[in-house]
Amino acid sequence: MNKIALITGTRKGIGRAIAEHLLAKGWIVAGCSRRSSDIENPNYHHFCLDVSDEKAAMRMVRQVKKEHGPIYALINNAGTASMNHLLLTPAETCRSIFNTNVLGGFIFMRECAKQMTRQKCGRIINISSVAHPLNLEGEAIYASSKAAIESLTRIAAKELGPHGITVNAIGPTPIDTDLIRTVPQEVIDALVQRQAIPRLGTTEDVTNCIDFFLQEESAFISGQTLYLGGIS
Amino acid sequence: MPPNRTEISKIILQTLHELGEDLEKPELQTADESTRLFGARSELDSMNLVNFIADVEERISDEFEIDLILANQSAMSRSHSPFRRVSSCIDYVMELIAAESDAT
Repeated sequence: MNKIALITGTRKGIGRAIAEHLLAKGWIVAGCSRRSSDIENPNYHHFCLDVSDEKAAMRMVRQVKKEHGPIYALINNAGTASMNHLLLTPAETCRSIFNTNVLGGFIFMRECAKQMTRQKCGRIINISSVAHPLNLEGEAIYASSKAAIESLTRIAAKELGPHGITVNAIGPTPIDTDLIRTVPQEVIDALVQRQAIPRLGTTEDVTNCIDFFLQEESAFISGQTLYLGGIS
Repeated sequence: MPPNRTEISKIILQTLHELGEDLEKPELQTADESTRLFGARSELDSMNLVNFIADVEERISDEFEIDLILANQSAMSRSHSPFRRVSSCIDYVMELIAAESDAT
């Protein structure tokens, strides 16, 4: 039987790449984003919602189970960023980033984990960023939201581990997606030079980590954040 | 038409009876409205209570298409937990359903 994955933020970028990767491997994928998706695959099911809308998220998680069966993997990918100096960052920007990156991630973790605990198995993967360990200037709010997600990952790993659920995070380097399109090239170049392997990341680098955390042999790996590009 | 108290009581007791079978706890298999859900004299540990709450949410959603979050701020801030007994849990669910109906 096909395993079921729920991935947030699948309309474009890393989320879309992960969705297409798992669909190619025969998974059933439920994805979501604020706007509609053009992923065409009979095993792909899209939901238009804001990940921080608790009721909408809950309805999605329940509907996926009702129509396809219990969710085995949750990939919390939906994220937003805004590059700005701390002194010029509006409070509303902070609220919006934390709503999507932290609150949204938390709500999906909680709702999916309710199903997973009854199945006594499940994998949760949160997408973080190297912005947190690098303490990137100009990304104070985004990096802080990713620090929160990593903390949530470690604590959830402890609380959910006894129920057969692993919780891990992946910290990609900059990848050529819309998320970094507005960041000046010299900033990206400087950031890449801080990596042990100085190049932009690719979506394949991320899907490789996804495969690692999802494989059966990774059942004993939890509470970890895997940074790409040699960042530690 | 929102569900009545008898229908909600049936769902909650059925969930508890099935959980009792899974956990092999006869006290839960014969639970009634006076059965304790939470506290020292409950047969449920904290994780079983979480599973019970999730099951009740899901059943209410399946049967009546009402999406409730039982472990919400209002439940957590009360001096007497609505999850202390089956009867208080039923009353609490009825409250949430009434609030949901008023909101829509």
